[in-house]
Amino acid sequence: MAKNFIDKSRRNDRLAELLIRIGGVLVIVSVVWILVMISRVALPLFYPPSAKIAATVKLSAAVLAGKVLAVGAEESQQGAFVLDDSGTFHFVKVADGSLSASIKVPAAPQGALRVVSAEALGKSAYTLLWDNGAISAVTVSLAAAKAADGVVSLSHDVAPVDDLAFAASPGVMQSFARVIEGKGTVRIDRLTNGRLRVTHQLVEKDLLENIKKSSATAELTDPLPGRLTVVTVDSKGHYLYGGTDNGWLLRWDISEPGQIHLLESVSASEKRQGITSLALVLGDVSVAVGDAGGSLTTWFPIKVAGSGDDRRLTRIHTLRSTDGKVALIIPSPRDKTLFSGGNGEIHADHMTSERNLLTIKVSAPLSFAALSPKGNSLAVLDSSNALTVWKLDIPHPEISLGTLFGKVWYEGYDKPEYAWQSSASNDDFEPKLSLVPLVFGTIKATLFAMLFAVPLALLAALYTSQFMSPKLKGRVKPVVEIMAAIPSVVIGFLAGLWLAPLIDKSILTIFLSIVIVPFMLLVTIFFWKRIRNASLLQRTTRGHEFIAMVPVVVLGIYLAFLLSGLAEVNLFAGDFKQWLFSTLGIRYDQRNSIIIAIALGFAVIPIIFTIAEDAISNVPRNLTAASLALGASRWQTAWRVVLPSALPGVFSAVMIGFGRAIGETMIVLMATGNTPIMSWSLFNGLRSLSANIAVEIPEAPFNSSLYRVLFLSAVLLFVFTFVINTVAEALRQRFRKKYGRY
Amino acid sequence: MNKFWKTGEPYVLATGAALAIILVMSLSLVGVVMTNGLGYFWPRALVKFELKDGTSALGQIMEQENNPISGARRLQLKVANRDVFGQDFRWIDEKDIASRTLPGDAVLLERRENGNYFGFLQGITTEGLVLTGVTPYEQLLQARKLVAGKLENTRTIRKQMSNLNSNAERIRLKLLKLEYGGQEKNASAITELTAAREKEMAEFSRLNEQASATMADIGKITAQFSDATGGSKDISLTEIVALQRPNSMSFVAKCGAYLERVRELLLDDPRESNTEGGLFPAIFGTVMMVLLMSVFSLPFGVIAAIYLREYAKDGLMTRMVRIAVNNLAGVPSIVYGVFGLGFFVYGIGGSIDSLFFPERLPTPTFGTGGILWSSLTLALLTVPVVIVATEESLASIPKGVREGSLALGATKFQTLMKILLPMATPGIMTGLILSMARAAGEVAPLMIVGVVKLAPTLPFDTNFPFFHMDRKFMHLGFHIYDVGFQSPNVEAAKPMVFVTTMLLLAIVILASSVAIYLRNRMRSKYTTSTF
Repeated sequence: MAKNFIDKSRRNDRLAELLIRIGGVLVIVSVVWILVMISRVALPLFYPPSAKIAATVKLSAAVLAGKVLAVGAEESQQGAFVLDDSGTFHFVKVADGSLSASIKVPAAPQGALRVVSAEALGKSAYTLLWDNGAISAVTVSLAAAKAADGVVSLSHDVAPVDDLAFAASPGVMQSFARVIEGKGTVRIDRLTNGRLRVTHQLVEKDLLENIKKSSATAELTDPLPGRLTVVTVDSKGHYLYGGTDNGWLLRWDISEPGQIHLLESVSASEKRQGITSLALVLGDVSVAVGDAGGSLTTWFPIKVAGSGDDRRLTRIHTLRSTDGKVALIIPSPRDKTLFSGGNGEIHADHMTSERNLLTIKVSAPLSFAALSPKGNSLAVLDSSNALTVWKLDIPHPEISLGTLFGKVWYEGYDKPEYAWQSSASNDDFEPKLSLVPLVFGTIKATLFAMLFAVPLALLAALYTSQFMSPKLKGRVKPVVEIMAAIPSVVIGFLAGLWLAPLIDKSILTIFLSIVIVPFMLLVTIFFWKRIRNASLLQRTTRGHEFIAMVPVVVLGIYLAFLLSGLAEVNLFAGDFKQWLFSTLGIRYDQRNSIIIAIALGFAVIPIIFTIAEDAISNVPRNLTAASLALGASRWQTAWRVVLPSALPGVFSAVMIGFGRAIGETMIVLMATGNTPIMSWSLFNGLRSLSANIAVEIPEAPFNSSLYRVLFLSAVLLFVFTFVINTVAEALRQRFRKKYGRY
Repeated sequence: MNKFWKTGEPYVLATGAALAIILVMSLSLVGVVMTNGLGYFWPRALVKFELKDGTSALGQIMEQENNPISGARRLQLKVANRDVFGQDFRWIDEKDIASRTLPGDAVLLERRENGNYFGFLQGITTEGLVLTGVTPYEQLLQARKLVAGKLENTRTIRKQMSNLNSNAERIRLKLLKLEYGGQEKNASAITELTAAREKEMAEFSRLNEQASATMADIGKITAQFSDATGGSKDISLTEIVALQRPNSMSFVAKCGAYLERVRELLLDDPRESNTEGGLFPAIFGTVMMVLLMSVFSLPFGVIAAIYLREYAKDGLMTRMVRIAVNNLAGVPSIVYGVFGLGFFVYGIGGSIDSLFFPERLPTPTFGTGGILWSSLTLALLTVPVVIVATEESLASIPKGVREGSLALGATKFQTLMKILLPMATPGIMTGLILSMARAAGEVAPLMIVGVVKLAPTLPFDTNFPFFHMDRKFMHLGFHIYDVGFQSPNVEAAKPMVFVTTMLLLAIVILASSVAIYLRNRMRSKYTTSTF
């Protein structure tokens, strides 16, 4: 029985020890686990994109009966199609190259026999130019379904676009056609004589739904700087771009029916190389230019200094160049990625990040290439009539270290900038995901808050530990500790909805307080010396001085408030904010950095105070006693003996406060306007990393770039606070070893 | 004088001033919250102003200040009647006022929608009611009582309806599961359940019709009011939540009204997108989340502290654990939220969904924010608080106690369970309470992992399995942020936010005071040596 009992006790003991040890280690595990889990979400941002060949098939003779004009692919890399000059779409299963169907374009224009050229129109439509100069448009849809037994079946359809058709017209070599929202249609022709012609077909509806049709034609007669080699049109039919054989890039405004208005011509090639391909990047703002020398650049119009509101095409991004000429540029239908084909290789580059995503080697010179509507398959037809379908995996093309931390020249901006703007209403928006304004906002908020909090907290800690009567100390310390427990949402709410409007009414009070409160203090010190001489008073006041300071501080702030009204009327014409704006050009936000400094400072004061007070109190009393015995005053002892000894602990208190301020979310979220701007102005708001996460993450789609970037900013916050806390803890442990009670 | 400066007495005063500033700031924070929060429920007088331009206004004086432009004294008046005037507040310059009176018959109505109504009772449409009261006000009070009785009936009907609804929902989920398992295999069960569900739905719509018919009937009973500008308004009695005549109320009656409002605050549901009514779901959600959190954080924290203090030897491992604890305490709370979202919600929650509830996909069950994930996330966040407090209390137990126990032959585990832990209980309690206070006030991570502005159901109810861990919940701290910063009419919502803030602040301050008191008592109990 007894032996049993002892055995059982021992067994329990060993078991408990094991469990408790596991519990201890679990703490480390959870810290590491947090870092690992959030990094795991953020890391795929930097994974290299990949391209795999899904299949290569030799096109059969039936398909190649005519001249090929276009190719296309489908999302799952199971099917592809080829358009030949008889106007037939051949749908091919890429696994075995078998022909699934051949569909002739329905409703071909009268008298038309062959297709001369085909231009892509949006994601899955083409405009076809027929040999008699007529134009028709078709949409092609292709989808693959895999049955349970692994057999792939393709479903396909070719449908005419009814309202986009133009009658025959001779002498045309290439044509574009566009629908103009609510107005009609337009065709842009390159004529065989090298000129351009724009024909508008306008449809007007009056109030009684009567339809009136009219047309207007304009032919380009101006002399051009060179021979036109390539032409492209934006999707709305507003701007026409052309490139010449000696490197000029031209831009015309064709939005007015019956007019072609040359906006500008710029030299787009440094070595006067001929422009070989042009394409508009998704969103129609930027135009990509490829020249005979193989360089690929993108351009968009920006304001030029000294020319008023005029905008001029400017080279913005230079992407990876190819060997030989740039034969074709395919803009991605999903984002700002550009695929460019040169001599034996295809590049994928993202315009904004200027990141070379992929380089695909092709054995034979390529003749046609196209992307699927979702941009995840690439069909390439080379000169040996082999059709290759690539499976593309480019999860986050717009992210690179450059776009996250560097200046980026975004569309519509006049110069490269740091910007954060994660979403907009339209699809073709260029996301601006620079973390720099957020890091800046975090540092600004933290610095201002620390400037406010550190002197107050440290001085108060020094007073509490060294000069205050022990009885009072037992009361004041818990008060500050309770202050530390005040939820940040409460502080944020008061800062945003109570303090901000209050300071808004009288900003000068803050500035005047900084002057007047110390002045009042000086006055008090002067009187203090007189009063102090009475010995009774001396005995009672010793250790209670701060109570006498409370009315001084309150009075000082009240005086500052009274004076600020006077000063505002007399010095700043009655309205300081107006004066600030008109004289210094500084904009005043109601929720600004002053509010943040006070609110965030208020939140970290108790943390700094408590740790610093502990550190100062832990300096052995014999040091103090020795110093006092040698005749030093209590201030001299505190300042020269105690504080230097406690310095590591005090320093770690400041660092821990700093770490808190960096990560504080609710206060910054509620007390600033959350505008991601970069300005050191006291009167502007800011957006911090942590508040940004809170604002954006509910809207971020799972595993999107934004989602991962937000996780990345969480990793940054983690690492930053980890370093600070670890250093602070190491300092504290050393300090404790030196003087510690335990 | 010179000596005075040399000894550094002025600097002592300066450090004292720093402490004074901190204390003034803390006290003013509490003061602002208290004055704004406590005064909100007091029935303020309805003042009627006759203005010099011949118009009149009725309202409660909120604030007085100097007009920033003209410098003249002006009053901010809450005139209410949002649906009539468009705004709740207006400013009146003092010089424009001809006279002010306190009409005894001025009525303050709290309505279900559109905020308060200030005006005068004109009459009452007694649709099918027998009223014995003489004055319209007496009649109105009597009618309200009768209407309340009728409303009670519809409430029981509504309760039946919600039961039917939850039954139907449970059958729907069962059906989904069966269908997922195989349409043909479970065909008979499916038809049976579909029939059962249709029966429930039919009963539901029958009751619904009955309830709406009754409501329409009651809705016909209206009272006519006129406001200070002369406009009149018909208000259905069902719209009226409370009514009072603050100008003719005695002090005791006002106290009664005050307490009634406090009761409403603590026990009722919110109205008007959280800007009026009670806080019950938010209080309930906060409490339940905090309790659930403690279930996870307390054992983990205590075990880790025991490891650090009793089992670990001073070395690299202990140092690393300590650094880990400090980092757990120092990592920003929003990072925990992000971690909770990535790991708990999408990671574990997503796996649970695909393993146990595949039939409900793509509607997530656990794969979205909820009270379980929130409390787990906060448990991780508050573990360091428990560890530090427990460790401190273990450290304060004199060594002799341990040695005595071991010398008597107890194993280490027995010493721990029978001697040390009971002695350290106050310290552990301190840690627990402090961690609860921290969790009650933490908002940032919750916003990501499961808090909502308005939860239709509580996470605990009488339907099986009673605790609904997957449900989203409301939280006092988030309520402050949401109502104060996301509501369309911030100025009108402000009093409510102040009240919520006061409540949260009171809870947190009370909890921390208790915790600190316990800790200090424990400290002084075992302190054996002083200098």
